[in-house]
Amino acid sequence: MNAMQEMLKRENVQLVDSCEGWQDAIRVAVQPLVDGGYVKPEYIDGVIENARKFGPYFVLAPDLALIHARPEQGVIKRQLAVTVLRRGVEFKAGEPCRLLVTLAAEDPNSHIDVMRVLATMFANPDSVERVCNAKTADEVYDLFVNPPKV
Amino acid sequence: MAINKILCACGSGLGSSLMVHMNTEEVLKKLGRPDIEVDHSTISDINPEAADLFVVGGDLADFVTNVPDEKKIVLKNILDKDELEAKLREHLG
Repeated sequence: MNAMQEMLKRENVQLVDSCEGWQDAIRVAVQPLVDGGYVKPEYIDGVIENARKFGPYFVLAPDLALIHARPEQGVIKRQLAVTVLRRGVEFKAGEPCRLLVTLAAEDPNSHIDVMRVLATMFANPDSVERVCNAKTADEVYDLFVNPPKV
Repeated sequence: MAINKILCACGSGLGSSLMVHMNTEEVLKKLGRPDIEVDHSTISDINPEAADLFVVGGDLADFVTNVPDEKKIVLKNILDKDELEAKLREHLG
């Protein structure tokens, strides 16, 4: 099992048409991890609170946000969720974001292997585009677990 | 000033700062400076004495005004290794 398969389950990957603003998008993006018992419901409030405090620093690149809070804000077990929004949400005015990767981390380091996979994948803007244009959630899942060699 | 420690920071200290940490180590290796210690942390933990150089994303620039310009790198795109390399080269001389 590779680092991504361990951290990302197929049931935590979703395609969503649109959201009612950035706070709703965060709720939608974190919900699979609440349902799966990986984070407590208050993790959602943690992410929103951090975004209010620090601004949209979690928007890593155009079209890509890494939704997360700190371990003590409600993480039960480390895991990822992936949400593709057909109509992007604006964390920054005028910069719609379609790919939301939600991270639940247990500590500052134990998810390093999966972050390495994500960093390599997202160093290439084409990978983000490919994920955003995927037709099914299965396809999105596959692009994360078996990223095409660039 | 000699640079022995670089601290990458973000709002929660485990997402983007970890990615920048990994990229920084990779670039330092390429620049022949793998001896420099790299770590990541939250922006609230930053004080100018904690490291010789700080790396943050542009969205957090306002939170590191207590660090003098010559001790920080503010990245436009935190995933862009070329930008990171160019800015690290400037600071490492």
